[in-house]
Amino acid sequence: MRSNGLEYQQQQPDSPIRRRVLSWLVGLINLGVIVGFIAPVLGFISSPARRRREPGEWVPVLNAHELKPGETRAVTYSLMVKDGYTTAEHRYSVYLYHRSDGTILAFDPSCPHLGCRVEFKERKQRYVCPCHGGVFDTEGNLVSGPPPTGLTKLPVRVDGGKIWIQRV
Amino acid sequence: MAHLIEKTTEKPTPRSDGKPERGVELPHRAGWVGAVRDWIEERTGLFGFIKHHLDEPMPPGVGWWQTLGNLLLTLLIFQFITGFALAMFYAPTPDHAHESVKHITENVPLGAFIRGLHHWGSSFIMLVVVLHILRVFFWGAYKKPRELTWLVGVAIFQVILAFAFTGYLLIWDQKAYWATVVGTRFASTVPVIGEWLMHFLRGGKEVGALTLTRFYAIHIMLLPVALVLLTAAHLYLVRRLHIAGPVVPQKGAPQPFYPYQLFRDAVVVLVGMGLLMTCALLFKPPLYPVADPSGTAFTPRPEWYFLGLYELLKLMPPKLEVLGTVVIPGLVAIGMILLPWLDRSPSRHPAYRKWVIDVGLIVIFLIGTLTLKGILSEPPEVIPQSTSVSSSTTGSR
Repeated sequence: MRSNGLEYQQQQPDSPIRRRVLSWLVGLINLGVIVGFIAPVLGFISSPARRRREPGEWVPVLNAHELKPGETRAVTYSLMVKDGYTTAEHRYSVYLYHRSDGTILAFDPSCPHLGCRVEFKERKQRYVCPCHGGVFDTEGNLVSGPPPTGLTKLPVRVDGGKIWIQRV
Repeated sequence: MAHLIEKTTEKPTPRSDGKPERGVELPHRAGWVGAVRDWIEERTGLFGFIKHHLDEPMPPGVGWWQTLGNLLLTLLIFQFITGFALAMFYAPTPDHAHESVKHITENVPLGAFIRGLHHWGSSFIMLVVVLHILRVFFWGAYKKPRELTWLVGVAIFQVILAFAFTGYLLIWDQKAYWATVVGTRFASTVPVIGEWLMHFLRGGKEVGALTLTRFYAIHIMLLPVALVLLTAAHLYLVRRLHIAGPVVPQKGAPQPFYPYQLFRDAVVVLVGMGLLMTCALLFKPPLYPVADPSGTAFTPRPEWYFLGLYELLKLMPPKLEVLGTVVIPGLVAIGMILLPWLDRSPSRHPAYRKWVIDVGLIVIFLIGTLTLKGILSEPPEVIPQSTSVSSSTTGSR
């Protein structure tokens, strides 16, 4: 075996340089193939995250006369939404608050802490998050609990006798 | 190099002591990277294990033909990755399967390319696995002590066929539907349990929602687990018994696996993946109109790798159908399983294994001829993927 080795060494001289060059080429080729393959896969699976957000559309949610001054009301509405390969009817909700000065506020019911749906407690006149105890007043300001901010206000207008909100 | 040769020649090839492989002692390195490496090494032996396998001596004469296994492994890993990515956008229900595949192909950025990689990848895998099997067959590399390596390889081949068969129902187009109707009908020709077997595969009397979910579950859960276990066993056996060198031992010293053989492996992977990516870029994967059980205008034909079987069935008179569906494919499978024991010749040289080589050549010739006949007799393409697809969707379901 050893003599064969020497023979081989004489026939095909090898060197640390050849070994090093081949090692580099192995690394480069494998890295190139992996990156060349993984990059489009990552581009493919991350494409929904890169989709540009459309400006929120205006949606009529309630007849204006139904919301009395000082009242807070949860309103649900439906939209046809393109969801991946399908278009389906999705149900959403919004809190509307008719201030004493006549203006209307609309709040996204998602808690700014971790997204649970807040509940309006009529008796206490407070929004309470059932998950981690965030509390907000009727103006949506944070009263107590872990949320970093108050409730998210949605643009709102009254037009044609209806209350419209702009989705975010 | 003197050091290298001395090192590689010290170790017998193939390993004769039958003891399990072990790692090697690594020199300690300075710096915090070395400290972390030593910490991991001390607990797992990982780097020593890797180095031991990278230094594996390759018998002289091992070269480009021995790169097919690595190419196959790479293609399988990449097929798993593209399958995982596609599963994120796919819905396995008759109502949505075709729609979701159409969405992937037409709307999702890079969707047609990723689906193309998965679609053409299956053809590449089939081609490479057959070449790999032929290489092992002609080199007689299945002989003692490598009978189990061969058997596990045959099982991997069966798993790959099952992957191909369960995979193309998933897109739920006409081709997928009718190929599955015909494919699962094969099972009904099995004596005694045929009907039951077909119903079991279909999840009912007809190909429908339960067939789709069954095939999906098999395709993404059962088969990948089977493939991982079998591939691990195959690699373990290849490493334990060492790669079979050329039929006629060559002069020269063994070379370490890294970087010499790994360089050939890398070049072949580069060429193979380059070709696959080019295919995926140039040829959009086909998508026929949505599956329509009432459709009569569609001529069902399987993928090219099942065309041999398809043509064989055309040759069978109705009374002998079972020959084409069960007996002949079964005999080929049994022949592959028993090959190491059917071939009694002590030599690996083809000249000393005349009848085995002759039978092998006849089988290869027949399968090749039937496949070629199937490819050449392909009827004109029927409207792949048209805008009328959506109207078929509402019409058929």
